[in-house]
Amino acid sequence: MTEREFLIPVGPQHPALKEPENFLFKVEGEYVVDVEPRLGYNHRGIEKAMESRTYIQNLYLIERICGICSNAHQTCYTLNVEEVLGMEIPERAKYIRVFMAELERIHSHLLWLGVAAHEIGFDTLFFYIWRDREVVMDLLEMVSGNRVNYAMPTIGGVRRDIPSDKIPQYKKMLKILEERTKYYKEVAAKEQTILNRTVGVGVLKKADAVRLSATGPNLRSCGVAKDARVDTPYLVYDQIPFNVITYDGGDQLAQILVRVDEVLESVKICEYCLDHLPDGPIREKFSPLGRVPEGEAVNFVEAQRGEDIHYLQSRGGDKPYRYKIRAPTLANIPSLIERLKGGYIADIPIVLAGIDPCFSCTDRMTFIDIEKEKTWEMTGDQLRRYGIEWYNR
Amino acid sequence: MVQSIGDIIQIFVFPGFLFLLNYALFAEWLSRKFAARLQNRIGPLHTGWKGILQPLADSIKLLAKEDITPSAADKLVFYATPIVIFALPLASLLLIPIQSITNLWSFDPVISFEGDLILILLSMTIVILSIFLAGWSSSNRFGAVGATRAALQMLAYEIPLGLASIGPAIFAQSLSIKKIVNWQIESFTSFLQSPSLLAIPVWLIMATGFAVFVICLLAELELRPFDIPEAETEIVGGWQVEFSGRKLLLLVVGRDIKMVLAAALLTSLFLGGAAGPWPIPPLGWFIIKTVVCIFILSNLSILLARYRIDQMLYGSWKYLIPVSVLQAMAVIALTGVM
Repeated sequence: MTEREFLIPVGPQHPALKEPENFLFKVEGEYVVDVEPRLGYNHRGIEKAMESRTYIQNLYLIERICGICSNAHQTCYTLNVEEVLGMEIPERAKYIRVFMAELERIHSHLLWLGVAAHEIGFDTLFFYIWRDREVVMDLLEMVSGNRVNYAMPTIGGVRRDIPSDKIPQYKKMLKILEERTKYYKEVAAKEQTILNRTVGVGVLKKADAVRLSATGPNLRSCGVAKDARVDTPYLVYDQIPFNVITYDGGDQLAQILVRVDEVLESVKICEYCLDHLPDGPIREKFSPLGRVPEGEAVNFVEAQRGEDIHYLQSRGGDKPYRYKIRAPTLANIPSLIERLKGGYIADIPIVLAGIDPCFSCTDRMTFIDIEKEKTWEMTGDQLRRYGIEWYNR
Repeated sequence: MVQSIGDIIQIFVFPGFLFLLNYALFAEWLSRKFAARLQNRIGPLHTGWKGILQPLADSIKLLAKEDITPSAADKLVFYATPIVIFALPLASLLLIPIQSITNLWSFDPVISFEGDLILILLSMTIVILSIFLAGWSSSNRFGAVGATRAALQMLAYEIPLGLASIGPAIFAQSLSIKKIVNWQIESFTSFLQSPSLLAIPVWLIMATGFAVFVICLLAELELRPFDIPEAETEIVGGWQVEFSGRKLLLLVVGRDIKMVLAAALLTSLFLGGAAGPWPIPPLGWFIIKTVVCIFILSNLSILLARYRIDQMLYGSWKYLIPVSVLQAMAVIALTGVM
């Protein structure tokens, strides 16, 4: 470190971060020279906890990995369990799952747009977007009974049906969302101060994005058309016509535009689902004490933030033997570091927020002693004792 | 003796400290409520009528909070700067004509002398320097970044601010705010009696000066597009990150007073001060005009996203300073004609 450089810690508590995570910035004046991320502030041991719960109990635990992509995680989990069970779920349930997933995408992307506006100091846009986001929140509540953590997918189908007499009302609400989103797209693409703060900020090159295995809108903003809904179709995504949105440039404006356009695509998918909702039952029977045969499954789901990968290993019985989750934010962190380097301090919040980080979904914990070249893990009790000893030292 | 009691009332009660402090809190409520309505929110609601006592409640809360001084801070500067930031704008407001306590229809300032405009501009500069010292002395990294940003930002708007306020002073041939106000009243009344075309360029120049002054005041008050030194999402409050309790209270109220001072300066230099048609006394006109100025400032502050410091400096030196220089040159040329 030279004389002119100094370190700025961003996080674990910082207004630009909604969740605890630490980034150590080496800055020279207003320029960022280097970044060092540190994960692991909010590890909750969900994977381990799942091994001691039945499949139905896990349904509600897995939903609580993340408040915003709860439906994506749950969908991925049910897909895994159904694959091991060899269960084929009714068509109607598939359409309702897709409908929920896309509603959740709309809600998440609108939330992100508001946050992005807040990070560049444009609070007025933030308030307006969040006001209009209430429409999709109301819609989610009408469909599922909840604003977040909808608990819609269950093993064998979905828990609640979409009543046909409500469909015109849902469509009207989707129409409002479409109109408002188009307006915000115009604002984002024309308002000069937004352009000042987003064009050419936090640029990620296409080659770097692929090399650092970025995913989701973070990757699509660099012009790479990768989407798990198209590449590895699940549910009924292969029957629904929709476009994969990509923008060139890889800067923050591209991130904004990708997400705005994805909201518009999602509205279209939702409308398609409502129009083509097949008749029939909404779920297959699966008993709360149901047993799952030996086997393993891995599934990809395109969550709002990118590709969500779940792996299930069953050795028979009513509990999973091993469950592994890779939330999209973890895959996005290396490319985030690349985006942050060489920018201004003032651009840190918007670039950090740019990947729509959800660190709590991501966190994992392994102890590594570099000097002794040893890695180990601890149980909750050991960790607590270790903490007490550390502070008493 | 009567004279001195009058002075004491003028300085401490009306239109001095007591009135100004209350008015500052009112101004904060007003700008918050106004911005909230524009942003489709409700704003303060529960304390008093439509939340009018919210700034007071916040102040009392801050008084009760723990006052922490970082052990690495430069103690003397850390203690002194909040007081300076609070006291200087308050004292400067005594130079602004608001309302005389002896005559209902006159609005002599408490103190007035040739050159008090310069004194106000000087005190505003000292406040910014104190902000720099406050951020620097707190020994916080975010504080240091915020402090350097405050100093850099000062380079951008201090010059146009001075040039824009010089315009009315040259027209009035005086550096005293009272005389500038009197010149505006005289020229306006003479215009009403015998309208002449010469008034149009004067008004155009004054309007340009007003616009430049408003933009500079947005930066001076650290309002939205220029809240770079304290950018909450970027550097966590910047220079004031380490202040808490009573010191933070002084900073918050000092900022409200600065807002009133800004509105009062706009009123006195460009809008004819506390003067106005008959049925409303000068105090009423002062409040009406400053409220309009506060509306203008808070409306502008919600319209735009925050600039980056380099963009702010670039924009200021490329557009704002040339405009203000042209404005000052036009004033000089026009006074030669007149």
